Amino acid sequence: MNAVLRVEGLKKRYGRFEALKGIDFEVREGEVFALIGPNGAGKTTTLRVVATLLSVSEGKVTFLGNDLKKAPEKFREGISYLPEEAGAYRNLKGMDYLRFMAKFYARSAAELATFLGRAEGIAELGPRLKDKVGTYSKGMVRKLLLARALMTKPALVILDEPTSGLDVINSLEVREIIKRFAREGIAVLLSSHNMLEIEYLSDRVALIDKGRILDQGTSQELKDKYQAANLEVVFRSALR
Amino acid sequence: MKRFTNLLLKEIKELVNAQLILSLLMMMAIFYFVGHLAKTEMKKAASTQKISVLDLDGSELSAGLSTGLKAANFAIEWSREKDPEAAVRAAKQGDTTLLLIIPQGFGESVARFEQKEISTYSFLRSFSIGGIRKSEILRALITATNGYLSDNVLRKKVPDVSPDILKRPIKTKDYVIVRDKMAEGSAAAVSGFVYSQGVFLPIILMMVIMYSSQMVISAIAMEKQNKTLETLLTVPIPRTSIVAAKMLAAGIVGLLSAVIYMVGMKSYMGGMMGEVRASAPVSAVIKQLGLTLTGNGYLLLGISLFLALLCGLAMATILGVLAEDFRSAQSLMLPIMLMIFIPYLLSFFADVNSLPLPVRLLILAIPFSHPFLATPNMMLGHYPAVLYGILYMAVVFLVLVVIAARIFSTDRVLTMKLRWGKKKIVL
Repeated sequence: MNAVLRVEGLKKRYGRFEALKGIDFEVREGEVFALIGPNGAGKTTTLRVVATLLSVSEGKVTFLGNDLKKAPEKFREGISYLPEEAGAYRNLKGMDYLRFMAKFYARSAAELATFLGRAEGIAELGPRLKDKVGTYSKGMVRKLLLARALMTKPALVILDEPTSGLDVINSLEVREIIKRFAREGIAVLLSSHNMLEIEYLSDRVALIDKGRILDQGTSQELKDKYQAANLEVVFRSALR
Repeated sequence: MKRFTNLLLKEIKELVNAQLILSLLMMMAIFYFVGHLAKTEMKKAASTQKISVLDLDGSELSAGLSTGLKAANFAIEWSREKDPEAAVRAAKQGDTTLLLIIPQGFGESVARFEQKEISTYSFLRSFSIGGIRKSEILRALITATNGYLSDNVLRKKVPDVSPDILKRPIKTKDYVIVRDKMAEGSAAAVSGFVYSQGVFLPIILMMVIMYSSQMVISAIAMEKQNKTLETLLTVPIPRTSIVAAKMLAAGIVGLLSAVIYMVGMKSYMGGMMGEVRASAPVSAVIKQLGLTLTGNGYLLLGISLFLALLCGLAMATILGVLAEDFRSAQSLMLPIMLMIFIPYLLSFFADVNSLPLPVRLLILAIPFSHPFLATPNMMLGHYPAVLYGILYMAVVFLVLVVIAARIFSTDRVLTMKLRWGKKKIVL
């Protein structure tokens, strides 16, 4: 499988503080790659750098061969980012929000209709899409945002804690949707605290702590390496 | 361009919400209602007014005074009481607001060149403008009667000389000079008319800049509060377009809001003061002195106003980035408000050119000062000052836009915060 995203020696500094201390990984086509680690490990910072929100202090990030420093607009054309605490415009109706976002990517009216049809299928909000976002529950907003992130079938989707704050049923649905789109060839880069979720969703995992990647591989490879029953134990062992 | 239009329409949709429409409609309705009431009151004051008159004299002179009252649009209600106390008591019971008592022997005393008092009683049953105007009309009438009486006496005593010459041996002839033009007229009347014509401009400017700046700051703060900014920054559209769309949307909506506000205010002011029109002589003097704006003058004024609005929007964009949420955005309006209020208030009572140099430089450093100064400067022929002001604002705007674009294209758009509690700016 071809690498969609390649991160090499990525460092991110805020003044004297170094949030990322040289990170290397790659995400391949149709693969779900997960970053797991405690709070403040650098997961969200990594995702924000790849999403073009934060600048690269040192190192190289390439997306489909384009360098982030030189061509951030190429990243924005081909990626989709769902932040952990993202919201949607409360005064817009759900469908109007999706249309507004889709128009940035659609090159024709037909393509716009395709995006919106796909989004409706992902969000599964039915007639509620005609209501204002301000009236939605947290779960509904999250599904709307996931629909927004996936409707254009981008080459890379970046999901920061995609099931954060969702109930069990909604979380299961979201995970199924992510799996389905990965099978269709979309590369997924995600972060989560939920080790079970990571184990279920991801093809490969990177353990991250204090701005460094401690280890990476498939869940099975890591479990075998650390002789652990699950990823939680793997992570504890890797920290030692 | 399609992407920019998409973003611009979203921004306008976000700004023009039910809350804004409702508040503008309410404001219009209130202004219209109060203006209409004031207009009705003023009409009432100008229409025929009732006055009670107790004429204890019955002379030719007192009859002449009554004729004068009728000519001044008063409807006389003759009091049948026998003495002033009773007339006052009776008037108190009724609805009259003015009572005039002409004492016995009034005509004779005047004929003997003795000063005689007539009494006027104003019953303040409300503090409306109409009530005040009635007593003003009566006072003017008595002054005119005094003039008439004294003129008659003077004519009898000194028939060869005009009473006007005897009363006012020194006569003045006023001239007003503006630049190289001179006209006969009163400086106070000319200044008063120019001031009244320019009174709306500073208010419009203040409203537009304040509305629009408030909208930009709030729009950016709301994007942060609702966690939509991060998503917006990752869509394929240049960051400068995001800044421009926010500024343009706020400018359009701010301008529309200000126009609606001004229509309401004009209706209110029209009711309070009537239409401001120069009398024919003042109008002629104004024309003679060249105190009117030419087509080029209006163009320069428009450019000046537009650049001031752009400066306000660019400033608001930078300040909006510092806001953490909608609440903190409100306090960030303070610097812009101060910068608008200083020249706004100064434009009413001070001449910037007569201020001490440091203060003058400080005022001129505020970009919003220049459109306030543009009209008087152009009327006085100080066109270079207007052009320098335009140039200065264009430079300030470009610098601010570069700063705003730089902030939006770097990490700072997400990391810059102004924390009042901790009293520090985090960059």
